Amino acid sequence: MIWTLLGIMVILLLMGFPMMIPMIAGPLVIILFFMDNLDPTIMIQQMVEGISSYVLIAVPLFIFAADIMTSGRTSNKLLDFVGAFIGHIRGGYAITTAAACTLFGSISGSTQATVVAIGKPMRERLLKVGYKDSSAIALIINASDIALLIPPSIGMIIYALVSDASVGDLFIAGIGPGVLIFLFFATYSYIHARIYNIPLGPKMPWKERGNVTLKALLPLGFPIIIIGGIYTGQFTPTEAAGVSVLYALILEVLIYKTIKFKEIPGIALSSGIVTSAVFVLVAGGQAFSWVISFLRIPRMLTDAVMGPDPSALYVLLIVSIFFFIGCMFVDPIVVILILTPIFAPVATAAGIDPIHLGVVIVFQAALGSATPPFGVDIFTASSVFNKSYLDVIRGTPPYIVMLLIVSVLVVVFEDISLFLLNMF
Amino acid sequence: ACGGNDETENNGGTNEAANEGTNNGEAVENNGGNEEAVEVEAQEWRFVTEETEGQVQNVYAEEFAELVSEKSGGQISIDVYGFGELGSEVDQVEQLSTGVVEFAIISPGFTGTLVPEGNIFALQFLFDDDQELNQQVLNESEAINEHLAGKYVEQGIMPLAFWTEGAMQWTGSSALQSPDDFDGFQMRTQESPLILESYEAYDANPTAMSWGELYTGLQQGAVEGQENPLFFIEDANFHEVQDHLTISNHNMYVTMTTVNPDFYEGLDDATKTIVDESIEEMKSRSFEIQAEQNDAALGLIEEATDTPTEVYELSEEERDAFRELAVPVRDSYRDESEDAGMILDMLQDEIEAAQGN
Amino acid sequence: MTCGNVLTRIITGSSWHFAAEISRLAVIVATFLGISYAARKGRHISMSAFFDLSPKPVKKFLAIFNPLVTAIVLITIGYFGTIYTYGIYETGRTTAALEFPFWLMVVAIPLGCFIGAIQFLRNMWMNIVNKEIYIAEDKKDYDEQ
Ligand code: NA
Ligand code: NA
Repeated sequence: MIWTLLGIMVILLLMGFPMMIPMIAGPLVIILFFMDNLDPTIMIQQMVEGISSYVLIAVPLFIFAADIMTSGRTSNKLLDFVGAFIGHIRGGYAITTAAACTLFGSISGSTQATVVAIGKPMRERLLKVGYKDSSAIALIINASDIALLIPPSIGMIIYALVSDASVGDLFIAGIGPGVLIFLFFATYSYIHARIYNIPLGPKMPWKERGNVTLKALLPLGFPIIIIGGIYTGQFTPTEAAGVSVLYALILEVLIYKTIKFKEIPGIALSSGIVTSAVFVLVAGGQAFSWVISFLRIPRMLTDAVMGPDPSALYVLLIVSIFFFIGCMFVDPIVVILILTPIFAPVATAAGIDPIHLGVVIVFQAALGSATPPFGVDIFTASSVFNKSYLDVIRGTPPYIVMLLIVSVLVVVFEDISLFLLNMF
Repeated sequence: ACGGNDETENNGGTNEAANEGTNNGEAVENNGGNEEAVEVEAQEWRFVTEETEGQVQNVYAEEFAELVSEKSGGQISIDVYGFGELGSEVDQVEQLSTGVVEFAIISPGFTGTLVPEGNIFALQFLFDDDQELNQQVLNESEAINEHLAGKYVEQGIMPLAFWTEGAMQWTGSSALQSPDDFDGFQMRTQESPLILESYEAYDANPTAMSWGELYTGLQQGAVEGQENPLFFIEDANFHEVQDHLTISNHNMYVTMTTVNPDFYEGLDDATKTIVDESIEEMKSRSFEIQAEQNDAALGLIEEATDTPTEVYELSEEERDAFRELAVPVRDSYRDESEDAGMILDMLQDEIEAAQGN
Repeated sequence: MTCGNVLTRIITGSSWHFAAEISRLAVIVATFLGISYAARKGRHISMSAFFDLSPKPVKKFLAIFNPLVTAIVLITIGYFGTIYTYGIYETGRTTAALEFPFWLMVVAIPLGCFIGAIQFLRNMWMNIVNKEIYIAEDKKDYDEQ
């Protein structure tokens, strides 16, 4: 049954079917032909479940806000502001993108929302200063991963519930690996900019900088309201997404008057189509994962590969592979919920620190969502930027290599996650 | 029970199908020398809970599975699925009633729109603060085991036992000792109109929020407090981001062990007896499991000195001050349905009778 | 909706789960009704690596075969979606806060799937009657743009 499920998926995928079909067809065939006592409407129930998560509502709202800001002036003013200060540094824009993804990810907790909210405005600017589209998109997708590691991370919260670890400790432990990835990306951006000779902007005099800052004052309220609002507890990330739509509308429609009221439905339609293309996959992924876990496939696989008395390193390796593969198909949260209870006892028996295990798991979950051939962030980027799948993944290899290096480092040296904790 | 027959037509096929899927192995002789074991068909059942490994419901389900396996001489094996494996709590309710799983632990709190009478457990200061007495009421009450259970059977959910996972307690960023402390307090609750109303009665601002967002919400101050049994507070680490814990015993977290009605009615007598006996034996065990976990959790919360939490236990007078405000909310429960008032009155009498003993 | 609620929550301090339910409704409806629109515009995400590299006859075959199978899968899902929706309708389940009938939320699935199936059949038809290869009714293959 496992092979039927995977076989159908891979074949349909390679034939170039819309991605939702490979995800739905496998489970459908299994339920219809292999399990005649199972009610097929379970597929529908799980598809609804997949897109009912409250946290996910933030995604279409951020897509909408980003669409409004890019059709209008807000995002340009913001980027003028950033450019005035760092445009003359090598790789400055790329480094800013990575930093912005890290910062935004830390509040949204969703890698998909980060791809949209930061990716949309940043990509245009990166293209303008001479980056290739493929490298711009690859940077955006992969930097968004960091979101799951930097606190507050919903991945860590879920892991803490299923394991016995403390959320506070996990949050602190995620910072080390998160910053390490950022440093790798920043260094790479600098070198990349040198090699490809990305033209430097002129160093702006302070007077002009002040000018640009003044113009950006209102758009700057945007990140301040969002980040400040969340950290002072005025709203949750999902509410912040709603507020960002409102703020973008007020700026573009009422203050700058760049968008007319009658244009808003068109923008909403375009945001809607992007949402639909991504969420259909989330829905299909949920049906797929339901069948997988109903058949007890994760349990069977782990029993098969673990063997008696595995070493700590071997356990971490297997854990990494399972989470990495799982998150290529399914939402990281669901994967953490299903797989953690299976692995946690084995890991404890092998003497692995539960905090370290949590960091490895969340790291792999983040990595899996941005890695070809599957990965929800790739789908999101493909849809948001209206680029073919190949165009989206073309530039990712250097980032994947860096992430794999960091991933090995994190697995082998538990101090990368634990040193901050041990300092206190 | 009343009205269960309508449902039977809907789910007619489930039962035969479930039995077809299992092989009628005659290998009962090889059952490893358990003398008590009765001869039954080899079967595989599924049991889904709302919690994760090691938490009260899962420990319960695993022990129930062991009991059934023992009594059937290993012929019946039950697979336990934890939270998240088969979807949300509400999905699990549907999966039980359509026969995708045979057994489920279902909390009335997640079926409030399906069986509004089940919201009775959201009422605060209705039960006693002696949990053992409460469990006895849950075991024996006619209001619950006959009338309320009947409402669930109408929806294709057959409760076999009502049991508590422990008293609900409050945590807060500030101390919560009198109704005044709730004035304007941002309280996170589950999404049930009656729970919201209960906190509005204390002049709090109740907010529904999923528990996935709750830790961050408490940490950043989007909400100031929440209610849960101790074991859940400790497991979800809410004490890390809360300064105060009030042992309020304002109500208890009640849940139900349920079975698909068609599946249950279709069992042969020997198998049905195994199920019934196991359910009966788990009644005292469920109480022990939650007591152990809640006691241990309180210890762990007190020991976590790097995130200190002030623990305060309400006195009887302080409970009375809350009760006075909580009692009028019962009228809203009466409005839930025609039978709600009858169930509430009968339960109140039963509780008083138990307290009188 | 969500923003309105934050405002009201800040102002009145009242809770806001109504908005969460309406947002959820909007997401479900947009997702499934969007299948057909995305199919027409060729905006569905697919791993087109092999398709893009294939010779024209193979492309032509896939451009006819894929939409056909896609339509069949969607019709099957739409069929079970109808049964599921009817089941929900019968139980009378409502949403927690608004007490809005839940079946009105999920009816978007069968509707979306059926309309989507029709659009995929039209995409197939475009490829049967025309010489060029159409990824979707409104979108020719990248090579032919
Ligand atoms: Na985060
Ligand atoms: Na504390």
